[in-house]
Amino acid sequence: MLEHAYLIALIPFLAAHLIFFFGRFLPLRGASLGIAAISWGFLHSAILWIQGLQHSLPLPYESAFPWFRFGVYQVEIGVYLDGLTLSMLLVVTLVSLMVQIYSLGYLRGDARFKRYYAYLSLFTASMLGLVIANNLLFFFMCWELVGLCSYLLIGFWFEKPEAAGAGRKAFLTTKFGDLGFFIGLLLAFAVFGTFRFSQIQLHIQTGQFSGEILLVIALLFFCGAIGKSAQFPLFVWLPDAMEGPTPVSALIHAATMVAAGVYLVARTYFLYLAAPGALQIVALFGAGTAFLAATMALVPNDIKRVLAFSTISQLGYMMLALGVGGYATGMFHLTTHAFFKALLFLGAGSIIHAVHTNDIQKMGGLSRKMPITFLAFLAGSLALAGIPPFSGFFSKDAILLATFESGVPGLDILALCTAALTAFYTFRLCFLVFFGSPRDPDRFAHAQESPQSMTIPMLILAVLAFSSGYLLEIKHAFASLVAPHLPQAHPSSPALSWKVPLYSTALAIAGIYTAAKFYAKPSPWPEYLRYHLRPVQQMLLNRYGLDAFYLWMLRGADRLAEFLYRVDFFLLDQAVVDGFGRLALQLSRIKNWVDNHFVDAAVDWVGKTTCWAGRGVRTAQTGLVQNYMLFMALTVSVLLVTWLTL
Amino acid sequence: MPWLSLMLFLPLLGACAVLAIPKDNRQAIHVASLATSALSLMVSLGLFFAFDRNNPGIQFAEKADWVPAFSIQYSLGVDGLSFPIVLLTTLLSFLSLIASLGIRERIKEYFFWFLILETGMLGVFTALDFFLFYIFWEIVLVPMYFLIGIWGGPQKEYAAIKFFLYTLLGSLFILLGILALFFGSTPHTFDILELARQNQQFSRTFQIVVFLALYIGFAVKIPAFPFHTWLPLAHVEAPTPVSVILAGVLLKMGLYGLLRVSFPILPQATQWFLPILVLIAVINIIYGALVAMAQTDLKKMVAYSSINHMGYCLLGIAALSPTGFNGAVLQMINHGIITGSLFLLVGVLYDRAHTREMTAFGGLGVRVPIYTGLMTLAAMASLGLPGLAGFISEFLCFLGAFPVWKWYTVASVAGIVITAGFFLRMLQKVFMGPLNAQWGNLPDIRAREILSIAPLTVLTVALGLWPRLALDLMNQTLIYLSTLIQ
Repeated sequence: MLEHAYLIALIPFLAAHLIFFFGRFLPLRGASLGIAAISWGFLHSAILWIQGLQHSLPLPYESAFPWFRFGVYQVEIGVYLDGLTLSMLLVVTLVSLMVQIYSLGYLRGDARFKRYYAYLSLFTASMLGLVIANNLLFFFMCWELVGLCSYLLIGFWFEKPEAAGAGRKAFLTTKFGDLGFFIGLLLAFAVFGTFRFSQIQLHIQTGQFSGEILLVIALLFFCGAIGKSAQFPLFVWLPDAMEGPTPVSALIHAATMVAAGVYLVARTYFLYLAAPGALQIVALFGAGTAFLAATMALVPNDIKRVLAFSTISQLGYMMLALGVGGYATGMFHLTTHAFFKALLFLGAGSIIHAVHTNDIQKMGGLSRKMPITFLAFLAGSLALAGIPPFSGFFSKDAILLATFESGVPGLDILALCTAALTAFYTFRLCFLVFFGSPRDPDRFAHAQESPQSMTIPMLILAVLAFSSGYLLEIKHAFASLVAPHLPQAHPSSPALSWKVPLYSTALAIAGIYTAAKFYAKPSPWPEYLRYHLRPVQQMLLNRYGLDAFYLWMLRGADRLAEFLYRVDFFLLDQAVVDGFGRLALQLSRIKNWVDNHFVDAAVDWVGKTTCWAGRGVRTAQTGLVQNYMLFMALTVSVLLVTWLTL
Repeated sequence: MPWLSLMLFLPLLGACAVLAIPKDNRQAIHVASLATSALSLMVSLGLFFAFDRNNPGIQFAEKADWVPAFSIQYSLGVDGLSFPIVLLTTLLSFLSLIASLGIRERIKEYFFWFLILETGMLGVFTALDFFLFYIFWEIVLVPMYFLIGIWGGPQKEYAAIKFFLYTLLGSLFILLGILALFFGSTPHTFDILELARQNQQFSRTFQIVVFLALYIGFAVKIPAFPFHTWLPLAHVEAPTPVSVILAGVLLKMGLYGLLRVSFPILPQATQWFLPILVLIAVINIIYGALVAMAQTDLKKMVAYSSINHMGYCLLGIAALSPTGFNGAVLQMINHGIITGSLFLLVGVLYDRAHTREMTAFGGLGVRVPIYTGLMTLAAMASLGLPGLAGFISEFLCFLGAFPVWKWYTVASVAGIVITAGFFLRMLQKVFMGPLNAQWGNLPDIRAREILSIAPLTVLTVALGLWPRLALDLMNQTLIYLSTLIQ
């Protein structure tokens, strides 16, 4: 199984192309093939994962074949499998499988159904390629390909101008972060002479590299992670990415692709460990993003945008975990988050499917109409809020614990505040959507529970959202798989290990209680707060002005481009180049004049002089013999006189 | 069998045949030109399989005395530097000829000039004697002048004259450089390889003077800032197939000249000039990309993006390392393929809509899905998406340049995101959003058009996934070349 792990990525890759070109000849217009391919991937990954848990695999395993050569170097395409890879493979294949089944119902009847499944398969293949890549270049290639699929899927309904714009925004914003990653690749190759993770790790462990160089490389890689994982200050694309179909948001913009940045940091963790200060910066960005995004999640009325901000915030938590040394912890939260956030998005999709709006102010009371969706969504919400024994409790708690133990001032407070805010905004959604009386009776009347193809994946994910945290904690199974060699960063101090869960649970319950007070029944509080905190609300709605800032920069770039084009056309081309031409023309005119008035005139003058001379002399040519005789006589006499006088 | 001569003169033979056909017999003209060009392509493909990838030197060499008094020889040959470009030339010429089947007026002359052009271009890339090289270099100008001037757009005469005069001016400097090298070498020789082997005999000052003369000539062709302003005009005014050749092949003549002539023969001057060259590379990349972003005309945007892409090549060769050289030569090939397909695609749209203004379209993705797919793929390749051809070559250019020119490379990387910016904006304006009702009946791309574009699309993907296809041809030669200069 291990030596054929490449099939996990290769099969969906081939499936994507088959669906794209021949999908219309296949059952379910190609969806069957996509689901079959990812089912294979899931089974394959699950078997490997179980074997990995039993420690019966020779990990880490690496195999590669040559891709291309340049100079004396060679680049490979290859797979690298360790516990980290295996757990990530399982997450990606499982969520992708759920989403593909769910999409059968959600996208039923869409004109571009076939293309949707082709894109989804291509995305899955690229994401799996990224996970198993054994070298940075192949990793980067898959990294960009998932970006492409994200672009194509956000803009899947490209007739909508918002969707088209959101796709472009996502692509460009992440590309901007990737510039750093790209330079990091160049620098890493210049320093290490290889792209292979294992060799770089070996070099770092054995070689003498200055801490600054390693720090620069680590931070450049982190730029890419900031873009992809929507961290501050590049998170602006993710809320807009919600224009895509909701299952896509669940798969790409909640569970997998946006976690790729976290995965990148985890994959190159040896680099961050060796670079002094790198992890602190990761932690700082993580905690800051977690808190800022949680505040922004308080205000939107679009159900998907609330979840998008929540995703940003949770990704911040993961970064924070990695930054404070909780390697396994960060990946643990990535795993549980993938399950419960995908669940929440699929639940949101189910609701949107029923009421045809994203606006939570037009929902309400839906628990009566959609009991399965309600239960699933509630499970996801409890997990997200971190209520024991739901999965989110275990992973978030581990993060808080690691943060407290790291002793970095401020981070622990930020993380705790975020926990309270998370519980509040999550249950704001829950109460507004499912409780109270319907605020739009018309939509309510037409709402109904979604078909089984949608509810079954939700239920499976709900079970996982409930249990995965606890199951993975048994005997530290997850940590021993993902980080067998890393020592636990800090031995837990007994006081903290019961205080932290207590605080966080208390804060979560307080958050839920406040949300219930505000939103379970009509209440004056939200209006009161809106009235008195209008500037704050505006700032949150404007996403701290970052969007405006980027737009301003873009307009600047456009103006610069326009200006340079003018310089190019008017100055360089028309003035200088054509100026030379005109100058040559002018010169030739002057030359022409000089030629006519001097050179040619001189020639003419010679001719004319000759003519005049001739004319003058001609007067002597009278034709009369007497005259000639007279001239002769005169001449002879003059000569005679001259000769005689000498 | 003199395969190279055969490949070189088959199009010329076709041109003569076209001359002999009555001008009303369109079919015979088409057949004669396509057949000779196709045969030339077949020969080059045959050589592709016979080419020894481990040999850094000249292969398939042919040599004969031509003007013994001045030791001028008829000397042909290809190595890892020229052969990939030769392949590109035969391929793009053939595909452009297919795309030319839609030309309606004065077709006899059109095909005549086109075939002459093909021979000229192939000559430039296979000639190993300076005199022969220069003759082919100049031959290229004449057909191009007529092709733009007669079959071009509204400003065709202006564009043709500008192109002709500008490049002719550059060629004059090349001629001076060639003569200087001839008289500066002992014994006097026009043999390019011989001059490279004996590059120690030239003094530094002599090298610098000759280098600058040659550089001006080559820089106009590349085109390197600030000698680039003929390009947008000529590309936009030229008929589609000619734009393909202009961007795909002609621009490579300048870079080929630098790598074949200037660098190996004048290594000291090369070292001296490198800081300027890398600065020009950065300007080409950033400035070219920004100016392309200001365009609303599709063809102009593609034309300016060529300046940006040639900047990557310049950056790669400024590295003076096998990595950078590999990147640069591969980028030449990839640019030919990608920009070739972009021009063909823009031409397809222009033929139907008679406008190239991006803002005039909108929502075409619903109406013409196949065309949209092809255009999206070409745009993605051009903006350097991994998995498609452009990425590996750009990456190698950067990778080679980075250790030598750290900050210049870092600055150039910004070009990537600007390129992405204008291509995505183009895709959004033309293909996304609600369908502009004006184009409700726009027909999708036709079979003949697909026939001329599909090979390029396939190559874009193939070279992206399997760059060895081209890299293996060139690597050994480029390693050898970099040792010549160091």
